[in-house]
Amino acid sequence: MTGGARARIIPQSVMGETREIAGQLVPGTLDMLILKTLNRGRQHGYGIARLIQETSREVLKVEESALYPALHRLEVRGMVRSQWGVSDNNRRAKYYQLTALGRRELEREAENWRLVAGAVALVMRSL
Amino acid sequence: MQVLIEAWHRFLALFRRRQLEQDIDDELAFHLSMREQEHLEAGSDPSEVALATRREVGNVTLVKEQMRDRWIFRYVEEAAQDARYAVRSLRRTPSFAIVAIVTLALGLGANTALFSVANAVLFKPLSVPEPERLVRSVTDNNGVWMNSSPATFKVWKDAGAIFEDVTAHRFDIVNLTGDGRPEQIGVARVSEAFLRLFAAPVLRGRAFTPEEDRPNGPAVAILSYSLWMRRFGGDESVLGRRIVLGSVPHAIVGVVGRGFDSEQFQSLPDIWLPLQADPEHVDGASIYQVTARLRRGVTYAQADAHLRDALDALNSGARTGRGGRRYAWIARPLQDAMAGSFRASVNLLAGAVALLLLIACANVAGLVLVRAEVRKREMAIRAAIGAGHGRIVRQLLIESVVLSLIGGGAAIVMGPIIVRLFVGLYPGTNPFMIGADEAVPRIAQAVGGMLDWRVLSFSLVVSVAAGLVTGLLPSLHVFRTLSHSTLQETNAPISGMRWLTGRAALVIIELSLALVLVVAAGLLIRTSLAMRSVDPGFDSDHVLTMRMAVTGTKFETRDGIAELAREGLTRVQTVPGVIRASTTCCMPLETVWQLPFVIASRAGEGLIKTGAMSFHGMGGWTFVSPGYFDVFHIPILRGRDFSLDDDARAPGVAIINEAMARQYWPNSDPLHDRLIIGRGMRAAYAEDPIRQIVGIVGNVHDTGLTRNLRPAVYVPMAQVPDGVTIANVKLLPIVWIARTAADPYTVSAPMERALESTSGLPAGRVRAMRDVMSESTARHRFDMWLMTAFGVCALMLSAVGVYGLISYSVQQRTREIGIRLALGAAPGDVWRLIVRQAMSLAALGILIGVAGALYLARIMTSMLFGVRPHDPVIFTVVVLLFAVVAVFAGCVPAGRATRISPTTALRCE
Repeated sequence: MTGGARARIIPQSVMGETREIAGQLVPGTLDMLILKTLNRGRQHGYGIARLIQETSREVLKVEESALYPALHRLEVRGMVRSQWGVSDNNRRAKYYQLTALGRRELEREAENWRLVAGAVALVMRSL
Repeated sequence: MQVLIEAWHRFLALFRRRQLEQDIDDELAFHLSMREQEHLEAGSDPSEVALATRREVGNVTLVKEQMRDRWIFRYVEEAAQDARYAVRSLRRTPSFAIVAIVTLALGLGANTALFSVANAVLFKPLSVPEPERLVRSVTDNNGVWMNSSPATFKVWKDAGAIFEDVTAHRFDIVNLTGDGRPEQIGVARVSEAFLRLFAAPVLRGRAFTPEEDRPNGPAVAILSYSLWMRRFGGDESVLGRRIVLGSVPHAIVGVVGRGFDSEQFQSLPDIWLPLQADPEHVDGASIYQVTARLRRGVTYAQADAHLRDALDALNSGARTGRGGRRYAWIARPLQDAMAGSFRASVNLLAGAVALLLLIACANVAGLVLVRAEVRKREMAIRAAIGAGHGRIVRQLLIESVVLSLIGGGAAIVMGPIIVRLFVGLYPGTNPFMIGADEAVPRIAQAVGGMLDWRVLSFSLVVSVAAGLVTGLLPSLHVFRTLSHSTLQETNAPISGMRWLTGRAALVIIELSLALVLVVAAGLLIRTSLAMRSVDPGFDSDHVLTMRMAVTGTKFETRDGIAELAREGLTRVQTVPGVIRASTTCCMPLETVWQLPFVIASRAGEGLIKTGAMSFHGMGGWTFVSPGYFDVFHIPILRGRDFSLDDDARAPGVAIINEAMARQYWPNSDPLHDRLIIGRGMRAAYAEDPIRQIVGIVGNVHDTGLTRNLRPAVYVPMAQVPDGVTIANVKLLPIVWIARTAADPYTVSAPMERALESTSGLPAGRVRAMRDVMSESTARHRFDMWLMTAFGVCALMLSAVGVYGLISYSVQQRTREIGIRLALGAAPGDVWRLIVRQAMSLAALGILIGVAGALYLARIMTSMLFGVRPHDPVIFTVVVLLFAVVAVFAGCVPAGRATRISPTTALRCE
């Protein structure tokens, strides 16, 4: 661990709200997963959920009750930007897109995650 | 940074609430439809797809709620909710709402109205660029602030190191003659810099040049827009044409733009003339308003210091015998100087309306407290189903704020009416009055100034503050009660002591605040009465006065004016209803000159020397024609009145007042002495004859009813040298006075006609002497009436409030009283119990109030006359009055308490 940077397992709550977390997800990682997914390009909420699920080979399931509030929270915080567009099947859908702020946040969270995951792996291996 | 971004997004969202809802719905609808399609592709039964999806997704409403939550300010949302709830609940109890709103509107209305008056006079910046750099010359003469003399003007003009530009002005009236009927018009006599300094738009032609502003300069004039339209129909060729003022044709050199208001004149002048001030003119008359623009970066203090040095330089070596006299020039910020003594009034009245508002708040707080108790169950239930205590208390506060905002709205609607009343009470300004302090040119702007942003924001802030103050005490009590478990207390407590503390505080607050106001009102009422009972030394009943401008006419010489007076008075005396008539340069209570005099019998000894002058004393100086003392019923104590024989050919004579006789001839007879007047003031006075004192008249309060008497000299109009007459009538139009048999105004028209047929000049500013007198004390009456109105409101509000609170506490204690009665207490005991409680609260309130009033009275000292600030009569009367009010407020509910029947009382829950 480098000086000062402390791994957080549960990110601090924002403006007094506790974060909703998806059942199967490690607490606090949802924001990071959303940001990571959006890093590939703009996507709508359903698409984000699908991508996370597919990429994780169906291990991670993102529930609506967690996903949408999280998306809106990220938007309020200026991490993502939204825009109405037309989906592949020709329907109106709300697309999210990473902002510069969101990209920086993703880097920070990813770095954090690497540290935590590595640390956890070390501990698990040693026992 | 992060916080700001979030707040900004949330703030934006406030304005697209509907869009946001729609987006959330659409977004989830899309999601659900995608999920359904997923199911269909997986081969599920189409009829069950929708249901299955729903089941998977769970509570959609909750998800939407959570999404929405991301976007809102929770506090704003909840406050809005609370406000809506408050409005609904107030609608359910209209009588409570109306009483509370009316009470608050009264307090807020008084505050808003006073603020809009203060705003117009004190706060709204002058409509000049960089108004903070403008200063007014004020001469501090032993604590009395005076306008400037021509000599002062010269000193200021020479102070180029601190002033960029200096101007002087004064208001005057002249006769506009030539084509058409002669009329008296308002004139602004201004020095060359005036129009530049006040940024006047010159529409046609040009402003005055320095050459035109020299003494004995050319006769030129600048028209106001309205006169240009009225007399010349807006004719473009008006420049270079002549306009006849008095009998002198003035060349028109310019026209000032429409609506230009320098705010220095009560009524907009019709015409502008160069002041042509003669710096050698050193009369005691301080009739100029001198205004200067400070050089950039010069502070007021630096300006004052510079003026102090200038005065010292002027007086060096020449100052003797005036020991102890304070005399200084001060550069006062212009707006401050224009407000004059009005600031003191505003401060006092602002205090008064603030107290009134506090009483109104206390009153409504009492009502809210009572209502809160009625709603205890409601609140307990809300608490039980999960509302936080904070939320419930906030609800109460918001209810008060809603009440107060409605009251504030009503106050703004009523505002113009109240302001009109304020301003209507405020006396018109007499341009010839001594001391510019009374003049507040901008006060009329308060009417219609309600929609000024300062007034509106003041009103909003005060309304919210009043609402919070009102809600504070009830909220604290509810909070405390909630913290105990309330739900169990379905039965009324035996004695509402816990609630009583809040009520007790309110009773004390209301009584003490109201007492302070009533004492202040009482002191001002006594001041007014004392002023009314001052004997001015003359009889103002049945005297009519009118002014005539004779400057620039053939009447401005010694013989001319004497002729005019003789002819005019002969005609006026024949007007039916006129008993006696006379003329004078200046009336009592308006401008009165002051001149130095030397007593001939001891011409060499005891002289005071200042500059070129040496004299025994300074005294009021008035020229009059025969009959002046008769008209005013001023008694001739010794000697004789002037007669028509005291003319230019006869030896010089003078009449002095009693104060002068006593002061300067304590052991000898002034009637055997002679006076040398005005030497050294100006060359023209050298021609003034040495005057035999021929009479002693009673003292007249000619400089103001509240000012001290001073020596005064009267001389016959027919004996004043030409130079002095010319200078005098140029400064002041002469005054015609007449004693009438009936209402003075009934002879005004025939008298004006008689004078016009004699002189061909119009007379104007027709005033009964009674009105002139009343004008001179109008400021005090203004303060007194407003204070009295506030005092009465305060007394009534507090009486009602205290009565209500005690009645309510009796009602609350019905059960307790019932038990007492059932256990054998006599009705008298119960009565005493209630009354004693009410009286002890009242006594405490009165005690605190008296302490506050003693403090306020001390601050008010400068506004009082003829009454000591700690006047025992006022204090005793007011304390008794409040005691009576308190007894009444306690006795009525106490009487009701004794009639409580124990059985009903015990059954009442």
